[in-house]
Amino acid sequence: MTSRPNGEPLVRLSGVNKWFGELHVLQDIDLDIARGEVVVVIGPSGSGKSTLCRTINRLEPIEKGEITIDGERLPEEGKQLARLRADVGMVFQSFNLFAHKTILENVTLGPLKVRKQSKGDAEKRARELLERVGVTAQADKYPAQLSGGQQQRVAIARALAMDPKVMLFDEPTSALDPEMINEVLDVMTSLAREGMTMVVVTHEMGFARRAANRVVFMDGGRIVETAEPETFFTNPQSPRAQDFLSKILNH
Amino acid sequence: MRITRYAAGFAAAGLLLAGCASEAGNQAEEAPETTAEVEEVEFPEGSTMAEIVEAGELRVGTKIDQPGFGLANTAGEPEGFDVEMAKIIAAKMGLSEDQITFTETVSANREPFLVEDRVDIVVATYTINDKRKELIDFAGPYYEAGQDIMVAAGNPENIEGPDDLAGKSVCSVEGSTPAENIRTNYPEAELVLYDAYSKCADDLRNGNVAAVTTDNVILTGFVAGAPDAFELVGNPFTEEPYGIGVQKGEDEFRDFINDVLEEAYEDGTWAAAWDSTAGAITGTEAPEPPSVDRY
Amino acid sequence: MSFLAENFPLIRDAFLTTLSLAVVSGICALILGTVLAAMRVSPVPALRGLATFYVELFRNTPLTVVFFFLAFGIVYVDLQFPSRFITAVAALSLYTAAFVCEALRSGINAVPAGQAEAARALGLDFRQSLTTVVLPQAFRTVVPPLGNVWIALAKNTSIAAGFAVADLTALLQRLSNSAADELALVFVAVVAGYLVITLPSAWAISVLERRLAIVR
Repeated sequence: MTSRPNGEPLVRLSGVNKWFGELHVLQDIDLDIARGEVVVVIGPSGSGKSTLCRTINRLEPIEKGEITIDGERLPEEGKQLARLRADVGMVFQSFNLFAHKTILENVTLGPLKVRKQSKGDAEKRARELLERVGVTAQADKYPAQLSGGQQQRVAIARALAMDPKVMLFDEPTSALDPEMINEVLDVMTSLAREGMTMVVVTHEMGFARRAANRVVFMDGGRIVETAEPETFFTNPQSPRAQDFLSKILNH
Repeated sequence: MRITRYAAGFAAAGLLLAGCASEAGNQAEEAPETTAEVEEVEFPEGSTMAEIVEAGELRVGTKIDQPGFGLANTAGEPEGFDVEMAKIIAAKMGLSEDQITFTETVSANREPFLVEDRVDIVVATYTINDKRKELIDFAGPYYEAGQDIMVAAGNPENIEGPDDLAGKSVCSVEGSTPAENIRTNYPEAELVLYDAYSKCADDLRNGNVAAVTTDNVILTGFVAGAPDAFELVGNPFTEEPYGIGVQKGEDEFRDFINDVLEEAYEDGTWAAAWDSTAGAITGTEAPEPPSVDRY
Repeated sequence: MSFLAENFPLIRDAFLTTLSLAVVSGICALILGTVLAAMRVSPVPALRGLATFYVELFRNTPLTVVFFFLAFGIVYVDLQFPSRFITAVAALSLYTAAFVCEALRSGINAVPAGQAEAARALGLDFRQSLTTVVLPQAFRTVVPPLGNVWIALAKNTSIAAGFAVADLTALLQRLSNSAADELALVFVAVVAGYLVITLPSAWAISVLERRLAIVR
């Protein structure tokens, strides 16, 4: 798990600042994510970790600084940005499956509309992915007919169908009932093992220990501490990280 | 002045829908001066006049949707040239305005109302014709209307009469008698039908129609308002002599009304009635009164 | 009843005129209203402003005034529609589009923001996410309000009668004078004409509503 890939960072954030009105939600963020690296972002609520995740595919525009993906600067809203987003998979807290489309259609939509794949190819690949995340039997159902865990696994399959260079997970298990959390984490863990580059915002410390190469701890819109998981969890350096860990690990 | 309505609800609603009240504004605002002075008179025993005087009530059928002739004002009382004619006749019988009972008569029920003795006279833009004379009798005429044509100033299309309308667009109001006349007798003309003559005038001004047709009294008003834009062809192609309907065989009564009309022509009350009603709307002087037809 | 039989060609033509006014204007208004709704939710502020201006202008102007302007106003800037029917279609479409836009916009707003975000995150551009994800869901929630717009449009066609279009209401005006004694029958025929257009639509709308309902 600790094999460190080399080369240029796949995702680079440098001097990133963002405000929501008066609120300075991201302050001077510098973060490089290497190809194949799994970065877990943790921090108290309101620390800016979700916002950070959403700036990487520009669902949240930034006011200052620069974000590059695979050496390419994030463009302004438009066709260019859409093309770049296609290479960045995203999994949301609330799944956001397309309510009017079947599970299979949810997974094939991107490949058909953006990648311009043939219907046959897209469906074949979609069924493979659905099998991989374990929801093959639900292919012709609508999202509302599935459990939360199933929906989130479909959402992962939907993102994977685009063959993304990097996957963003914005609190993927926060909206799930406890018994469904593991089925989603298992899929994510196996993805990490296969070498997918991942940015995961989560409270799941077990997943961070098991799958992350690096843990980024955020508080008050800043990156406070970055470390390997074992180091971070056993020997946090900053008082705020110590405080945060003492609160959640005592649960 | 009292007014009773015999008209069925449907008919009243229909008239409202037909938008007839659209030109009512001007007239309703100021009630015309009364042009008739009440006189004391004696009538031969047993005559219709004597009976009416005895009853103390002259029952008059009139229209309430004809601007300038018979149009209900905001208080619901009819005003117009026809109404003034009724007042002149009442005055010569020694009856005051309060002793006139107006009843709305739409085109279709004018003869029935006379035949059934619901009214004594009908003054309601009532064109004299032989078919009607089989059922009732007419005094008058007291006014000579006729369908005419209005064109753009200078008459660029050289329209001199209805036959020249063939292949040309001519504007009128849907549901009106002039429109039906064109539809029936001049089918070559291309009819454009709005719900108000003012829109026809706009279309004529814009060059979208070649002509506007309806009763000359209405067209005269438009020409008076915009002499640079419009002109009247001045060749009425229908004769609409307006008469006063009385019950069949009431020759004595008819003679009396004819006398009253001729007196009104002489002493200026007829012209004064015109000036305060139709003339006030159209901005035209009183025409030469038609000679009464004592058939 | 023989009166209705005699005047059947008149009634039929008037009905067809009213029907085609409603259908043609309805299609134009749906297209224009959809474009306007897209503009109102677009990321470009100028487009949003333009669409908002349009909607407020036409939603707050009486339809008769719109008719009047198109029939008699635009000649002053040397514009003119080729026929009075087209003038009426233009007035009805321009006016109704504002209401279609607002119905659609409320539908778009009812689609959770996450749906559009997920579409954008997949790499769909603005137009694609609108047409494949947001609008199809918006249309379902707007079937009832759009149905009301359609019924209002069908009845609003009657304004055209005042602007030289021989529709059902013009027929009523015509026959209420020339056939005053048959007025009750004329009314029945005209009202039936409108009902034939609006009642099946109301029924179709409720069927459509049930069929398109999505589970959330």
